[in-house]
Amino acid sequence: MLQQLANGVFAGSIYALFAIGFTLVFGVLRHLNLAHPAVFTAGAFIGIEVAARTAIPIWILFPVVALFGALAGVLVERIAFRPLRGRDDEHFAGLISSVALGGVVIALLQARYGTDPQHFAADYFPNRLFEVAGVRVTLTQLVTLGLALVLMLGLAWLVSATSLGRSMRAVAENPTAAKVLGVNVGRVTAGTYALSSALGTVAGALLALNLGQAGRDLGASIELVGFAVIILGGLGSLWGAMAAGVVLGVAEALTIHLFDSTWKSMVAFALLFAVLVLRPRGLFGHVKVREV
Amino acid sequence: MLAGYDALITTIALGAILAYSFHVVLMAGQLSLGQAGFASLAAYVSTLVVPTEPIAGSISPVIVGLPMGALVGAAAAFVVGLPVLRLRGVFLAIATIASAEMIRVLINNAEWTNGALGMRLDRWVTFDFAWAVVAVLAYLFWRLGPSRSGRAFAAVREDELAAGSMGVDVARTRMASFVASGAIAGVYGVMFAYFFGRITPVSFDFSLTVSGLVTAVLGGYLVFFGPVLGAVFLGAVPEVQNALGLEAGWIHPLVTGVLLLAVILFLPGGLSTLFARLRPAPARPGPDYAPLDALDPLPDPGTPLASVTGLAKSYGAVNAVRGVDLEIRAGEVLGVIGPNGAGKTTLVNMISGLEPPTAGEGTVLGVPIGSRPHRFAQAGVSRTFQHSKLFERLTVLDNVLVGTHVVSRSTYLRRLLWLPSARRDERRALALAWAQLERVGLADRAAARPGALSYGDRRRLEIARALAAHPTLLILDEPAAGMNHVEALELAGLIRGLADDGVTVLFIEHNVKMVLDACTRLVVLDFGEVIAEGEPREVAADPRVVEAYLGTEHEESEHV
Repeated sequence: MLQQLANGVFAGSIYALFAIGFTLVFGVLRHLNLAHPAVFTAGAFIGIEVAARTAIPIWILFPVVALFGALAGVLVERIAFRPLRGRDDEHFAGLISSVALGGVVIALLQARYGTDPQHFAADYFPNRLFEVAGVRVTLTQLVTLGLALVLMLGLAWLVSATSLGRSMRAVAENPTAAKVLGVNVGRVTAGTYALSSALGTVAGALLALNLGQAGRDLGASIELVGFAVIILGGLGSLWGAMAAGVVLGVAEALTIHLFDSTWKSMVAFALLFAVLVLRPRGLFGHVKVREV
Repeated sequence: MLAGYDALITTIALGAILAYSFHVVLMAGQLSLGQAGFASLAAYVSTLVVPTEPIAGSISPVIVGLPMGALVGAAAAFVVGLPVLRLRGVFLAIATIASAEMIRVLINNAEWTNGALGMRLDRWVTFDFAWAVVAVLAYLFWRLGPSRSGRAFAAVREDELAAGSMGVDVARTRMASFVASGAIAGVYGVMFAYFFGRITPVSFDFSLTVSGLVTAVLGGYLVFFGPVLGAVFLGAVPEVQNALGLEAGWIHPLVTGVLLLAVILFLPGGLSTLFARLRPAPARPGPDYAPLDALDPLPDPGTPLASVTGLAKSYGAVNAVRGVDLEIRAGEVLGVIGPNGAGKTTLVNMISGLEPPTAGEGTVLGVPIGSRPHRFAQAGVSRTFQHSKLFERLTVLDNVLVGTHVVSRSTYLRRLLWLPSARRDERRALALAWAQLERVGLADRAAARPGALSYGDRRRLEIARALAAHPTLLILDEPAAGMNHVEALELAGLIRGLADDGVTVLFIEHNVKMVLDACTRLVVLDFGEVIAEGEPREVAADPRVVEAYLGTEHEESEHV
């Protein structure tokens, strides 16, 4: 039982990392970036390739992956969202253009890596096993949890205390007013996407590290759970997404424990459905409901 | 020539059917993505009723499955729609995705569906059968477009508040599009099952939703055959690549993705944009406005139309309106003035159903205060908005046609059967709309989009749309805001002309000169209360009014 809870927390921290990148872009720019799962997958593949080619240690690997991610985020915004700005179907068209771009990214991954899943070398990261109070945890899981915590707290600090974060909050509140007051909206937009995708790619690489491998459907497999997390947490709310990620991870683990794995996603979606119908702003969110 | 392409052609047809189930919700502006769930339920249930042998020797047994599938899909959509249709935008999208996933898990864990292993079925769907179904759907949408229901869909998509104020029952229209989407998804599910000969829960996962949505948006909603365009495009691209000798593998999805991206970025409205431009400009009906004589007569002057007492509205600690009593009689032009924040807009919002009051009661044209906007509109209240709420992606003429909603009858079912009475009704609506455009002087802009109009013309268009409802009571919320002096004078003339035609007018205005020129009775609000009421010149001279509102103006006039 305790073991299941722990597993749920680990899984949930990856959900949360995936989801905060997703919800960050929505919270600041009102864009639903459906290319995010593809960027997440790309992060896993890039992580595996960089690890195989350079054998750099893990604490350098993730910053490198994040750099790739930031670059990818800027490109996603330039290609799929910026050209739509000001169009009356902006939000709607953004959904489709980002799906299309996500497809392109996956096709490019296939071009480079083929159709087989890619693996981390077995000895890349020593997967030591610990036992704490009767709960077995691996080193990878600890690294995952630690990194996820550091990144989430870092992001929260960045948004609340830095000048980029202040500009992001200003744009989230009112893009026009922010522009009038001298905020460089173009830069903030690019910065938001860079951060979001950096988080997404790191989350992808982390999941791959946990699984030992990554296939092209890695992002698709987590996409729907990601939706559930951002809604449960309240769209646009960072703290909500973090909490909801863990709640959902634990709920899934408990479902597997009590029923069996085929009912796993039922919990996520039943919870999601109930929250949407009863409390559309999410369990923790207070973001204004905005139309897409 | 088609030999060897049977499977491809049928797949395209299936893609078009799936896309129609998205098309119908997109037309009404609802981002509803539960179709995969409705399709799977319909597919599984249909296996219980579809016979294993052709009917009467040659008819495909799937013919039994289609109505069953449509029924199951529609019923499932209705049940899911009851709780989720309160949601909008991305929240609706995700709630519906969640419903589809729940259905998938249920089917995966049920006995009668054979769980994750799925079912094997006979392959009864041929390409001519599939295209016959597409043809029927295309016909249904072709006839829907320029009908009263089709316009209601478009109005709800563009602006729900304005649609409701024009008499469209927004909740019902959204549910109708949702249920229709479920029915079409159900048909798709049955076709899918008996084309591929195998269904598993995985056949109806999220990727099906994405592909249906992409096909529908790619095709666009501007023409009735948009879904077919999208399906042909997505079906043909891999084939063309094969023909060009491009290897399969990663190149195909890459090219498809890039093309899709290009269409979305450069063709707002999808592929249908290419065809929508071919549409002829709307023809003005001849001098034949005879159908307009059949409109109901307006009430005789002096008939009480509205009576409210103690009407109040507070937002938290802010009391916007505090205990207003108001009577409106037929034939009057009632001006409402007051400083900014006096509660004028809140007052008219309450008597047109946009906001429920926190206290007070009364009726407007027999409709109790607190009812939904379309009830007031159906009773004969029509209004404009302080910040114009036009249907931006409809033409000027179509905007006004939406206004005729409450004075016309539904024509869709009769249009399906080509009944002459439907044509007569549509002509009558058209004549009514043109007459209003001429009344406000916008007839030569009929084919333009509202975005291309000047500010004053936009206000005039809103008035024309409101007038097309043949209102008993017309409410104008700051109609002259942003107009120049000459335009405001013209507008005052128009309002007096309406009164001569028997329309009762309530209007809010800041342009005091215009109010005094146009109205027969004046109400002054301050801090949510009526501080003066009566004959315009007398009220304007009332010291309390002068103090609250007209201060500077009064001083000026004394010096003159």
